[in-house]
Amino acid sequence: MQLHFTTHHDDHRIALLAALAISIHIIESAFPSPLPGIKPGLANIITLFCFIRYGWQTALQVSLLRVLISSLLLGSFLSPTFLLSLSGALLSLASLIVVQWPFRQHLKYQPTAIGYALIASISHICGQLLVAWYFFIPHPGLFKLLPVFITFAVLLGLLSGIITQFLIKTNTARA
Amino acid sequence: MKPEQKPDQQPLSSAFVLRINSADLVILVLTIVLLFWVYNHLWFNQSSGKADYMVVQIDTQAPVQYPLNQNRLLELDGRKGKSIIEISQGKVRFIHSTCRNQFCVFHGWLSAPGDTTACLPNRISIAVKSHSVKDTEHFDALAGER
Repeated sequence: MQLHFTTHHDDHRIALLAALAISIHIIESAFPSPLPGIKPGLANIITLFCFIRYGWQTALQVSLLRVLISSLLLGSFLSPTFLLSLSGALLSLASLIVVQWPFRQHLKYQPTAIGYALIASISHICGQLLVAWYFFIPHPGLFKLLPVFITFAVLLGLLSGIITQFLIKTNTARA
Repeated sequence: MKPEQKPDQQPLSSAFVLRINSADLVILVLTIVLLFWVYNHLWFNQSSGKADYMVVQIDTQAPVQYPLNQNRLLELDGRKGKSIIEISQGKVRFIHSTCRNQFCVFHGWLSAPGDTTACLPNRISIAVKSHSVKDTEHFDALAGER
């Protein structure tokens, strides 16, 4: 018996982008982080790129694939790390969609990658902190960490926004 | 002879200029406002409540409460010897303890609800609390009790 899958061009693109995101995620996890809980989050550049170039459906698929497969490869599937990663990815994408909504009508004033990256990084860390608070450490003192986390989220969000803008700029000509 | 350049592939060095529009600026300003608010609300706003009593626990004895509204010196007998605790104007500190490192003494004044210090060799711990501020001590990072 032979199985036949007909794959669309979009599927290839999603697979390629997800593979890129997974590679970045795994390379990044090899580097020690200066503070627990703070990571550059470079894999989210791919999610952001998908979101801006191809829309939220592609971004959702790519980021879910990235979270799932990289957790399987790193051995953290269904562990707290996985849950935090998933919640961050989902909340950041959700807030990107929410932020994009009012700008839909006026495409002229659509934020660039930098604005989206800021939104994504801040909501990513907020989602993770909320899940950590709800499931693992239900202590209000946990939120005392929020200023540190948001400071780093802004800085690293700006960085990833600049990289994403560069990516989009260099990829527009070929599209 | 210069190699001819394709119109859709510009050299990277000259191609990239950072682009920021008004929507980005709005988001950036909101982010900075959020950052200030978070710092102000969570870190620099500690005067929300004043402690009005303290709880002292010595070794395995039952904890004892002392009000903070009267100034006095307490001499407590721990496992290794005497510890002297001073209560003054709603604040508490160790002023003497028979331990080697004197961490408890160097900790200084305890004044905000939730502050704790302990002299571990002497098995004495003190925590200042407030009747009006909600107690959050029942929570534990590992047990996750709610």
